[in-house]
Amino acid sequence: MGSKSTKSTFMGWQFVLLPSAIIVLFSFYPMIQSLILSFQSGKGNVTSFIGLNNYARLFSDPMFKQALFNTLLYLVVQVPIMLFLGLVIAYFLNMPKLRFKGFYRTAIFLPCVTSLVSYAVLFKSIFAVDGILNKMLMSIHLIDGPIAWLMDPVWARVVIIAAITWRWTGYNMIFYLSAMQNIDPSVYEAASIDGASKTRQFFSITVPMLKPIILFTAIISTNGTLQLFDEVVNITNGGPGNATMTISQYIYNLSFVYTPNFGYAATVSYAIVIMVAVLAFFQLKVGGEKK
Amino acid sequence: MNIEIHEALTQIKQKGLYTLKKWLSVLLLVSLTASLLAACGSAKSETAGGAEGSEGKSGSKKVVAWAWDPSFNGAALKIAEELYKKDHPDFQLEVVDMAKTDLEQKLNTNLAAGVKDGLPDIILVNDPNIQKYVTAYPNTFADFTDKVDYSQFSPYKVDALRIDDKIYGVPFDIGVTGMFYRTDYLEQAGFKAEDLENITWDRYIEIGKEVKEKTGKYMSTINPNDEALTSILLQSGGSWYITPDNKGNFVDNPVMAETLRVYKAISDSGIAKPVTGWSEFVGSFNSGDVATVVSGVWQVASIMDAKDQSGKWGVAPIPRLNVEGAVNASNEGGSSWFVLEGSANKDLAIDFLAKTIGGSSEFYERFLKENGGVGSYIPAFSSEAYGQESEFFGGQAIYKDFTEWSKQVPGISLGTYTQEAKDALKNELPNILNGADLKDSLFNIQRLFEQQVQ
Repeated sequence: MGSKSTKSTFMGWQFVLLPSAIIVLFSFYPMIQSLILSFQSGKGNVTSFIGLNNYARLFSDPMFKQALFNTLLYLVVQVPIMLFLGLVIAYFLNMPKLRFKGFYRTAIFLPCVTSLVSYAVLFKSIFAVDGILNKMLMSIHLIDGPIAWLMDPVWARVVIIAAITWRWTGYNMIFYLSAMQNIDPSVYEAASIDGASKTRQFFSITVPMLKPIILFTAIISTNGTLQLFDEVVNITNGGPGNATMTISQYIYNLSFVYTPNFGYAATVSYAIVIMVAVLAFFQLKVGGEKK
Repeated sequence: MNIEIHEALTQIKQKGLYTLKKWLSVLLLVSLTASLLAACGSAKSETAGGAEGSEGKSGSKKVVAWAWDPSFNGAALKIAEELYKKDHPDFQLEVVDMAKTDLEQKLNTNLAAGVKDGLPDIILVNDPNIQKYVTAYPNTFADFTDKVDYSQFSPYKVDALRIDDKIYGVPFDIGVTGMFYRTDYLEQAGFKAEDLENITWDRYIEIGKEVKEKTGKYMSTINPNDEALTSILLQSGGSWYITPDNKGNFVDNPVMAETLRVYKAISDSGIAKPVTGWSEFVGSFNSGDVATVVSGVWQVASIMDAKDQSGKWGVAPIPRLNVEGAVNASNEGGSSWFVLEGSANKDLAIDFLAKTIGGSSEFYERFLKENGGVGSYIPAFSSEAYGQESEFFGGQAIYKDFTEWSKQVPGISLGTYTQEAKDALKNELPNILNGADLKDSLFNIQRLFEQQVQ
């Protein structure tokens, strides 16, 4: 018994060894390297160790604060809207009496297979000053002159939020839909016999039953939003001013647009890492099951 | 021993499996994010991607060049190659075409990682990046000081290449600016070609108001998220966002104050059509929405894309700022050719560039005729190619005019932190346009810039 167990443990380690080595090489090694890098500063290859100065600089860097504010704004506004929309859409698509289900499901999921850059370019042209949206609004006399959507700090953020919501709602919807199909219909049956309305059923049965999935999508979305890059770069390129710039774009600017300061860029990326960890921890604390 | 582990595991399973899972998932997520970002931040894991480049290094006399825009920069190298081959029949050149941002990113990552294998021999550098590259990556680019006769080039172009008394690279195309205008619209509003010569920006706005009133067309476009116009204005006054010693140049700079005053005046006057991107900007003049375009000479190609507008365009010098020393000429964009110091074919690459782009009138004549490219090589300016009259521009000898203006462009140092300074300005520009006190705003920009470049 003992020797057999040793053998199987050994076998197990053999299976794990190669993936572990690869993860260490391609994941942990760069992580440690970039941590070391985050203690350096300078132009390009002319760098020197400056201890924690980069981390101190973060707190007095108005550009970083602006990017952080923008990113958190997207997070706080967009993620709840998107998840709620996804949940509601999934609920409707799961109704047994709905016809053309396949068509609706495909249509709502379809944005997810579009390339990030191409849909961003499309949104940019829709919201251009003489874009289709302004033409439409003007033809139904809702506005007198064109609105410069992408030049107004508030509207530009609205456009970004609308774009990511369009792109990712279907993705989250699929998770909810598959989870809903696992809920036993008899639960609903019992609820309607007890006289619970559809709305009541949604909030008292569907939502609690989907809690683990909602938690999962919330963490994934938080993570994705904190790393938002493609949409902002392509739709507004951070503008007007720096009103829509995200942290990821700031990292990119520090490395490739400005005089390269890879050390400080690494520091900013560690700021995201810490935030993702903290947020994920709180989400698990709040959303996780009680012991 | 094993039984103990089993027991321990069962205990964990019973008691704290959930906690364990929770922590594992957090750990996994963190490591995933960190590794993704690490790749982005440290730029160490980027592959060199220079399979094309290393090919050329294998001992042969093949020179590899990286450039963007094959129909312009790539075509220029092809012309140079043909010329050089007359005397050096076994010379071989391979042009690797990639997008400008890709090229810059690849160069940055390779140099930062210290990987030399994937890099080419020759590389195209956008002028505002020159100082940045040379100071950030010392001993990486070859010194051209004695290799080319720089007195034959427009001085402002050479100034951009000079760092600490050394000149790095060969000046290439220029972006000398002009004011392209629709002759038909301006005639309708009662203005002739002479009315547009040597005017100030205030006069420009007055004309614009007339044009708007009489033709219903906008005078120009405006895009607060793009620094092209402010850059043109600053250089026409002999100033820049930063000083030659890389300090912010916002406070106590009359040219900067005047530039932003003019910018706000154009924005307030209602003569400018708001646009949000390059394609909208080009679309505005191709569809005939605007009467003038202030831009670099390379814009000729885009303007001529609207074939139905042939004969309806003219070019005048740009308006000037109302400050001491300001001229009716400026520059927008332009690039230069660099050779990498560590290249295996360094001497050959230097010789190739020096003899063609760095010293052949024939090259510049052909480049203009075949690709509409304008260089800063003065001997070529008197050639027949530069004197040709353009039917599209109503028979005006536009290149002769452009080269004439290029001699007046004030020389400035583009410095290391141009992009940082532009972004600091961009951050405050909405406030300026909304009527904030200019002095306060300039102070804010200066402070933001200093924060950025510590």
